[in-house]
Amino acid sequence: MIANKKYFLGVSFALGFFTLLPIMALFHYAFFPEGQFSLTGMIQIISEKQTYRLLSQSLKLGGWVVLGTLVISFPLALITTKTKLRNYGWLDILFTLPFMTPPYIGAMGWILFMQKNGFLMQLFPKLSGLSAPFFSLFGMVMIMSLHLFPTFYLMLKNSMLTLEGSFQEAAKIYGKNSLFNWVRISLPLLIPSFLLGALFIFVKTLAEFGTPVTFGTRIGYNVFTTEIHTNLASWPVNIPKATFLSLVLFVLCFVLWLIQVKVIQRFVYGTVSGATKEFTVTTNKWVHAVSIVFVILLFLLAIGIPYFSILMTSLMTVRGDGLVFSNLSLVAYRQLFTNQNGGFSAFLNSFLFAACTGVITATLGFFAGIYIYKGTRYSQKVVDFFGLIPNIVPGIVLVVGLMLFWNTSWLPVSFYNTKAMAVITYCTLFLPYAIQYVKNNMLQLNESIFEATDVFSRTKLGAFTHIYFPLLKRGVLTGMMMTFIISMRELVGSLLILPPSVETSATFIYRQFEQGNVNTGMAMAVVTIIITCIFVIAIEKSKK
Amino acid sequence: MKMKKLGVLMLGIVALAGCTGKASESNTETTSKANETTNTEQENLAGKEITVYSAGPDGLSEKMKVAFEEKTGVKVNLFQGTTGKILAKLEAEKGKPLADVLVLASLSSMDSLKQAGELQAYPEAIGKDKLNVDWTDADDFYFGYSASALGITYNTKNVTEVPKDWSDLANETWKETFNMPDPSLSGSALDFLYGYTSTDQGWDMLTSWFENGMQIMGANKSALDAVITGEKNATISGVDYMAYKAKADGEPIDIVYPESGTVVSPRAVGITKTAKEVSASQAFVDFLLSDEGQNLVADAYLLPGNSEIAVKDRASLEEIQQIKVEWKDSEDKQVEVLQEFGSISQQ
Repeated sequence: MIANKKYFLGVSFALGFFTLLPIMALFHYAFFPEGQFSLTGMIQIISEKQTYRLLSQSLKLGGWVVLGTLVISFPLALITTKTKLRNYGWLDILFTLPFMTPPYIGAMGWILFMQKNGFLMQLFPKLSGLSAPFFSLFGMVMIMSLHLFPTFYLMLKNSMLTLEGSFQEAAKIYGKNSLFNWVRISLPLLIPSFLLGALFIFVKTLAEFGTPVTFGTRIGYNVFTTEIHTNLASWPVNIPKATFLSLVLFVLCFVLWLIQVKVIQRFVYGTVSGATKEFTVTTNKWVHAVSIVFVILLFLLAIGIPYFSILMTSLMTVRGDGLVFSNLSLVAYRQLFTNQNGGFSAFLNSFLFAACTGVITATLGFFAGIYIYKGTRYSQKVVDFFGLIPNIVPGIVLVVGLMLFWNTSWLPVSFYNTKAMAVITYCTLFLPYAIQYVKNNMLQLNESIFEATDVFSRTKLGAFTHIYFPLLKRGVLTGMMMTFIISMRELVGSLLILPPSVETSATFIYRQFEQGNVNTGMAMAVVTIIITCIFVIAIEKSKK
Repeated sequence: MKMKKLGVLMLGIVALAGCTGKASESNTETTSKANETTNTEQENLAGKEITVYSAGPDGLSEKMKVAFEEKTGVKVNLFQGTTGKILAKLEAEKGKPLADVLVLASLSSMDSLKQAGELQAYPEAIGKDKLNVDWTDADDFYFGYSASALGITYNTKNVTEVPKDWSDLANETWKETFNMPDPSLSGSALDFLYGYTSTDQGWDMLTSWFENGMQIMGANKSALDAVITGEKNATISGVDYMAYKAKADGEPIDIVYPESGTVVSPRAVGITKTAKEVSASQAFVDFLLSDEGQNLVADAYLLPGNSEIAVKDRASLEEIQQIKVEWKDSEDKQVEVLQEFGSISQQ
């Protein structure tokens, strides 16, 4: 294993440059306002009533979304493992799409569909009563659950798949009926997956900005992320307050992460064994029918409705005329591609930034992933933690930190207000994805390969180019495509750090809404979604 | 001697080209002088770069940038955002200031920047004499190059009885069918709030709107968008130029200025204290105040700062019943008004 001190320092500096600096800048700004340690600002925020309202609203939202994703994911995981539908592998690809769709776009789609005189009312005037109850916490939870459920679902499904086999066989021999077996044996073994999934969704919800800023502001439901953004980006500006709120959010998410680590240590058993992987598949007709209905319904809610709204809006000429055939045209797309309002250059920028981010994170992820490997040694854990920070800390917190750091006056060179700043921000935010894919890929390789490499490879470079890279190529590439996709749609960082005259597709969409050119914004959204789909399919293909 | 000849020649051209009988002799003389200075400056300016933070409207900022770049050869880095975003960006960049020119949609914010010593004066600004005195700083730190009036924007499909005054929206018939942009996100909505609540009935009226189900909805465009799609029937303190533009695009939208008077919100341009390219920045200000710039302003359905410039497809300033508002030194009071508004809206 490549694990000397120089390598450790190199990797930790590289990761720390992206992830640790902004956090340190945040702490420095918060606790050393005039070069001297002070707690007054923090105490003031902690003693404010509003902080508690934000806290309770954020937590409440998190709790409900966990429940919402569970209600969707658990039945879906059962359906794709226990019924005949498990043969349709493309369902998994289909149901990763909602997660790949930028949340603010999905939320916009829902708003356009449900609002008074929206698409729902135009199509089914009798259902107009649904509009008012939808614009409430319920609607927000539903939108966010429909966006976040894929990760929870895949987690549950994977553990259900690995659970089968010997456990199930033992249960068959010693247990009673299969339902009883399932409740008494399989379900308890799934508890860690439930816990981890729930914590993951909870943190994701706390960190989410897109849906709260589009839907939440409309129903007057503020959470930490939106409040931080408001304090940073609208008059009267309050940077210290944004920083302190960021710190509160940081601490909250950090604690949740610690709990998650404990859960893994205590509850995760080795459930994978070499034994048979026989599945009990129900053939009951009724179960089959209900499953199909469930999948179709979920498809309609998670993909059908938001995508329909987005597409229709992008095709409308006069928005006030509504859904009439004569009102549909490709004007918005033409405006986009002829670069009116700078749409096309925004798109190119996004593409460029995302590509750079993909390459940088993949390179870093490759070296870091090899170093971390199984993460048993202390130094490996340190590197692992550096790389994990963006997964623990909400994006907006990191962005605040990055802004503070790169604006410090003593820096001789600053990337702030250059395009490079966008790449740095995206790298910071999405580094964990790249590392994760390499790490997972490594774990699948046999130990003996690494031992042989250590013994036989003449130079380190040779080991990297001839052994590690060819073996890990798939993980590196998947990680790269993943970071590319999410960089293409990044919003919160881009809104705050992009230099003048520079826009990305996400900020373009956001600004088109601000400026009232909703159809051009939606046309851009459609293009972004199509590109995303192509990459998602490419990732799936590369797995085979 | 040559210069003099040139001057005479130009004087002739100017007189021929544009000046109708109205222009007095002294006026033509200043114009020709102005042209000379811009001409000599142009040579030095080409290749320079300035950063402009501009609070829309989008199309206008972009057109200004292009026209100015063509004319002078100066490259403009344009950041477009709401007034709030620009002020936020300035604050965040205090360590390393970047902006040379600020074009804000709120005079009171601009005035507070002046008070804080963030701006530099430009007494030689060409064309400042023609500007509306109420919108421009007497010490030449900023210039009111345009304004927008706030009215009631309504959906022409849904509204049969057009409201005549603010009080109409407090009626039962309007219950829960109207909104207002969030004054903490929209500088013009804050200007309206500040101006309107300075009148006797202001706060009472605001409360009765809330009681009648007024919804607060994002910045100007979000509020307007709800009216365009028919989700709401009307917007209080709708920005007029946006309404006129949507109307020109064929949307079922129109705007009315209430009889009892409304707020006209001036928009101002100024040069930052930290501007690196002062002469190029000054040229940009001159351009905004020039007839060419002012015509672009009018094309964007804004009220030009120079009232001699004819407005296009919209009500002129004289046709709008105005509430008199004192913008100078108003920032602190605006914060108070905003807080008061916040506490009422959360009830």
